[in-house]
Amino acid sequence: MVTERGMVDRRLAWLAGIVLIWGAAILFNLISLQVIHHQEYSKLATAQQVVAVEIPAPRGTIFDRTGQPLAMSVPTESVSIDPLRVPDLGVASELLALVLHLDRTALYGKMKWAHDNHHRFLWVKRKISYEEGQNLRNLRLEWIHIQDESQRHYPKGTLAAHVLGSVDFEEEGNAGIEKALDAELRGQPGQARVLTDVKRRGIDSQSASDARPGAPITLTIDERLQFVVEREIAAAVEAHHAKSGSVVVMNPYNGEILALASYPTYDPNLPPQPGEDSAARQNHAISVPFEPGSVFKVVTLSAALETTDLRPSSMINCGRGTITLFGRTIHEAHGGYGTIPMALVLAKSSNIGAIQIGLRVGQARMHQYVRKFGFGQKAGIPLPGESAGKVRKLALWSKASLPSVSMGQEVSVTTLQLAQAAAVIANGGLLVKPRLVLKKGNQTVPAEQPVRVLKPETAITMRQMMEGVVLPGGTGTRARLEGYTSGGKTGSAQIYDPVAKHYTHTYNGSFMGFAPLTNPAMVAVVTLNGTHGTAGFGGLAAAPVFHAVVTEALRVLDVPKDLPDQTPTAPVASKEESSDLAIADMESGQPNILEDADDEDQLAAGQAEGPSRVADQPVGPTVPNFRGMTMRAVLAEAAAKGLTVQPDGSGVARVQYPQPGSTLHQGERIRVQFAR
Amino acid sequence: MATLPAFFRRTSETGLPALSGTQPERDPFQLRALPQEDVLLYCKKIDNSRLVREPDPQARGACWSAIGAACFLLAVLTSVLVPNVASTLAGYKLQALRVEERQLLDEKRTLELQEAELLSPQRLEKLAQGQNLVTPFPGQVVRLNAKGDSAVAMVK
Repeated sequence: MVTERGMVDRRLAWLAGIVLIWGAAILFNLISLQVIHHQEYSKLATAQQVVAVEIPAPRGTIFDRTGQPLAMSVPTESVSIDPLRVPDLGVASELLALVLHLDRTALYGKMKWAHDNHHRFLWVKRKISYEEGQNLRNLRLEWIHIQDESQRHYPKGTLAAHVLGSVDFEEEGNAGIEKALDAELRGQPGQARVLTDVKRRGIDSQSASDARPGAPITLTIDERLQFVVEREIAAAVEAHHAKSGSVVVMNPYNGEILALASYPTYDPNLPPQPGEDSAARQNHAISVPFEPGSVFKVVTLSAALETTDLRPSSMINCGRGTITLFGRTIHEAHGGYGTIPMALVLAKSSNIGAIQIGLRVGQARMHQYVRKFGFGQKAGIPLPGESAGKVRKLALWSKASLPSVSMGQEVSVTTLQLAQAAAVIANGGLLVKPRLVLKKGNQTVPAEQPVRVLKPETAITMRQMMEGVVLPGGTGTRARLEGYTSGGKTGSAQIYDPVAKHYTHTYNGSFMGFAPLTNPAMVAVVTLNGTHGTAGFGGLAAAPVFHAVVTEALRVLDVPKDLPDQTPTAPVASKEESSDLAIADMESGQPNILEDADDEDQLAAGQAEGPSRVADQPVGPTVPNFRGMTMRAVLAEAAAKGLTVQPDGSGVARVQYPQPGSTLHQGERIRVQFAR
Repeated sequence: MATLPAFFRRTSETGLPALSGTQPERDPFQLRALPQEDVLLYCKKIDNSRLVREPDPQARGACWSAIGAACFLLAVLTSVLVPNVASTLAGYKLQALRVEERQLLDEKRTLELQEAELLSPQRLEKLAQGQNLVTPFPGQVVRLNAKGDSAVAMVK
């Protein structure tokens, strides 16, 4: 028999055994959870508690040189769904179409297709508005996913559209600076692991990878100038029924592009539409080369000053208005000029004069200077699609090439290249590389060392000759500025029809110039492509744009005036000369093989129609008497009176022109000869 | 109430057979007694008013030791737990602040965009035209040399 104590002992033993087994089971489970299946459960817990959050890295903002944002990204949201989790495609598409303002049928089609093809992801709408996002959240449907994205905005609309370019839906640059500097602008999103509680509130976060926002880019563009330039070129293109137009305004010393405009233009905020005119998205200033015409004579005359003994006063025989060379007959636009000084060849834009000068320079040296001025090679601006223009190799030049190139034919250039060439004259003979990017992030982009192309004295002589173009008697009087001296060159190149194989009566009207003359603050080149008739010549179509743009630019940049406020009268002789030219042009009805015409014929009419300031204000400043004075004293007195003196020689002033006491015309300088 | 010593004492007094030694054989048909079936519970009033607690000189020390040990344990636990709790609370706060920071940055960007749109030259020109304002001529704007950083402009 089992005793009472034995029974108790046995029960205690059972109890202990059960407790032991219970403990062992717990221990086993603990080991199983903590050791054997540790990683599995750890993963499950992590999946439940840790949420991977993307840290956005917005695309870099693009600023103008004054710090005004031209392109920036702002956060937005996009909606996607898992079509396989949608309970009812019909109801879902109706609901989403209602909230997101979409076409219900199209959305249903997309959802059905994705569902039937077992796709687990479908974008419903990207870049939704804030209200749409809120309405969607209020639905509280688990199969709708709202993802953070960012959207590129161009707050100034069409302003500088061709410079900025645009981005695609993935915010990847597809044109302009957006494309050229995509790597710098594009940010690298970071990722953080956030430990959340049961209510999905974040407790702790660890950065898996740091977000790297896109670098801000500061351009050399000034938005105020850019606006004026775009406004003026748009008006000019419309007024002259041109196909397109472009303007480049540049600082001649460091190559900074202050404005670069092309028309027609587009709004980079809007994606390309089917059937849209592709010309609107083309940057004509850098991508569309054209035959420059007479503006190229600047290169010819510069080369002549450098390589021959020709000087501004050297007499050039321009004949009776026609020259036949190598079987080709070349006409002057407005009859013959006879024998005139080289300075007048430029002022009157004589084709025959330019050819005569070009022939003196010679093929090899001409080709060398064309290349030296930067033609036939890309300027190196950081924009995609830049054209190098066309300058044929010297070996491919025919006998007729030299005359043609001398007057700006058989070569093609871009507006930007012309600005670069104008800068050579304006800055004293240095070829500067155009700069469009001032800063990347906080680092200033260094300017490249300029290359000397002309001797400083050649550049200064060219400046003086180019001033003659805007003075009465020149072809670009409409580019003349009030209160500032300026220089420039008109160009009116006929457009060659490759099908008909002859030059048409549509023109590339252009004007390249700089102001003020003595220390140019800027160069500007205006080109109108596809103008019609004489009204589309450079002096009539492009020069007024230069006038408007540079006047505004000089004001904005606070450039001090270098001419007195009162506007002196234009010389009477100039008017007569222009009238003569107009008559000559009317009389010459001969067809041109290589015609390059400028607008002198329109000048008289233009002046008659223009403001009456010239007739109303005949009084200019009186020329002081400098005789016997030292150069320092002459310059000091001239500066005090706001006059421009052109000194020559050394010692004391012996001769001066105009004579003391006479009236100084606008833009006219006092030449003082010094001698010991 | 029956205490365990009282129960064992009563068992021996009532002549219950000892757990070991000679025990009479039980009737095989007799139902086995339930544990403590024969224990009769009754209430007895005990007057302990005359009892005087004998002072224990070591009890106070033991008490303080126990209190001290408990405090120490509490301090250790607190020092271990408090940073964790504080860290968790700070984590909540930090996360909330991070979310707020992102929201504020987003809002700032949106406001900057609005500002840029409002200051666009096209819009300003339209406004100026509406107010019959004209573009000043070169040299018409005179900048006065103001003291400090402030800029003053005047149109003649």
